[in-house]
Amino acid sequence: MSLLQEEREIILSNEYVDNFDFAEVEEFVKNASKDLFISHHFKNQKKMLVQPRGGFPTYEKQYALYEFFVKSDVDVLPLTIDSNTRLNDYATAKKMLRLSEENEIDMLNGYPLVSHGYRTTRKMITHFNKPVSLRHGTPDARLLIETAIASGIFEIEGGPITYLLPYSKNFPLDKAFLYWKYVERVCANYSKLNEPINRESFGPLTATLVPPCITIVIQLLEMLLSLEEGVKSFSVSFAQTGSMNQDIVTGAVLRKTAAYYAKEIDCEDAVINLVYHQWMGAFPQNKDFAEQLISMSTIIASMVGADKIITKTREEASGIPTKEANAKTVANTQYTLRILNGLPNVVDEEEEEILTQEVHDIMSAVFNDSADTLWRKVFNCIKNGIIDVPFSPHIINQNEMITVRDKNKNIRIIKRGNVPISDKCYKYEKSKCDLTKDTTSIVNDIIHDIGIMQW
Amino acid sequence: MKVVTGVVGNDIHVVANRLIDLSLQARGYEVFNLGVNTYLEEFFDAVIETNADVLLISSLNGEAEGWGREVKILKSTYGKQLDNVIFMIGGNLVVGTGDSDDIIPRFKNYGFDLVFHQVDLTTGLDALEDYLKGELK
Repeated sequence: MSLLQEEREIILSNEYVDNFDFAEVEEFVKNASKDLFISHHFKNQKKMLVQPRGGFPTYEKQYALYEFFVKSDVDVLPLTIDSNTRLNDYATAKKMLRLSEENEIDMLNGYPLVSHGYRTTRKMITHFNKPVSLRHGTPDARLLIETAIASGIFEIEGGPITYLLPYSKNFPLDKAFLYWKYVERVCANYSKLNEPINRESFGPLTATLVPPCITIVIQLLEMLLSLEEGVKSFSVSFAQTGSMNQDIVTGAVLRKTAAYYAKEIDCEDAVINLVYHQWMGAFPQNKDFAEQLISMSTIIASMVGADKIITKTREEASGIPTKEANAKTVANTQYTLRILNGLPNVVDEEEEEILTQEVHDIMSAVFNDSADTLWRKVFNCIKNGIIDVPFSPHIINQNEMITVRDKNKNIRIIKRGNVPISDKCYKYEKSKCDLTKDTTSIVNDIIHDIGIMQW
Repeated sequence: MKVVTGVVGNDIHVVANRLIDLSLQARGYEVFNLGVNTYLEEFFDAVIETNADVLLISSLNGEAEGWGREVKILKSTYGKQLDNVIFMIGGNLVVGTGDSDDIIPRFKNYGFDLVFHQVDLTTGLDALEDYLKGELK
């Protein structure tokens, strides 16, 4: 028996798992409908796929949510996992699920997949016969991913960096890399049986003034860590920055550099797709304004040429959205996409050149780290600030980089910290900003720049 | 002047915490930032370890009350070690809507010298400076 299989048996003999039947699950994946695989839809797609967000504790509510989504012409269904399951606290998740079922009050902020189990969940997934994307935020997702694939969920979001740095203060990063290596291997193995399982990275990170070069580098590194384990379908992603031009430039550079680095490790046979997140920062309280913002995000996603868009709702500022609001967004977004025709092709060569240079500068520094494997190189580079994510709560993050918006609302680096972008690029970034201001007014600018969409 | 700061309790709201750190540094303080999700014991231990003059606790998720009310009891277990430290708390201090006229005396009673509920950062830090000037006189 392989080491991986031994580890799988340990993970799946968890007391909260009801008798995991390896052979039956393999048979299920082998014969599963192609429609369940987003990789299959990407291959044959004629339009941008629309995917909302959403997860409810009980089977009945999740089922009702999916019914609403299907009526609004959804392309990809989400399954958002509750916070207890994300932190591997299956006992609390189980208890809260029971309370939610008995009292008809939602005691969880998502669907506790491990507590429901794959036999139950699979019934729902195969009934709707749409691709489902797993949204979570889990550093140790080994049991969750096994349960997801056994349920018919063939897109797995996340990664060791993007699910750790924005969400955790002190979960050990080295452990996250090893737990995600397991996830990549399991996805790669199942990918041999039918259409490939898609892995997707979470590009928005902290969604707070993250400069495009940092977003892209982290997307590329999670992509490489996944491809080197044998994954054949991977989605890189990013969120609306606040500047349409910067979004278009980011999308173009992300696409080009992803193809370049996949080829560098001889993985050009893998299919790479681009995913765009509608505005992930603070939303306006005014729900009509929120709808305008969402429509604008959809237009930008079209300009970027995204393969999939992940939507927000008009209720974003006021809490977990209702299924009605969620379904409305899907229908509106599909409508916007239908009427958006004859888009111009915008290319900003100077900005693309600078951003590409920054990405290569940081990537070279990562590859030049003296560690023996890619994940250790990346680990070292996060630790020493070569990769620095603004506003990450994690203790390992350096927090030396400072970013602000320029007059066109592009995110610019005014203090690079240890991030090794070349002097030419650094000078260019700073030349776009007013550097004569004192720190107090810069802090006030940052507060305004974060809340840019609220007024 | 040394300041220990951080976000109290199980509160991951990091943005304001970074901005407090930046602003304090700009005003010339030596800052020891414990970051988000920090317990009272960790704050108190850090103040003693760094010999800080000011403890600036922030909170956004509304759960500050539950932690704030423990301050006096915990402080007493440290003997006289924290007697000369200025205790300051700011942010969004209660769940739902609350009136500053009620909240400020309540938190002062918990053992805080300076209390700021939904006050902007510059105003709060200016008040800290005024308070420190008064102390020196």
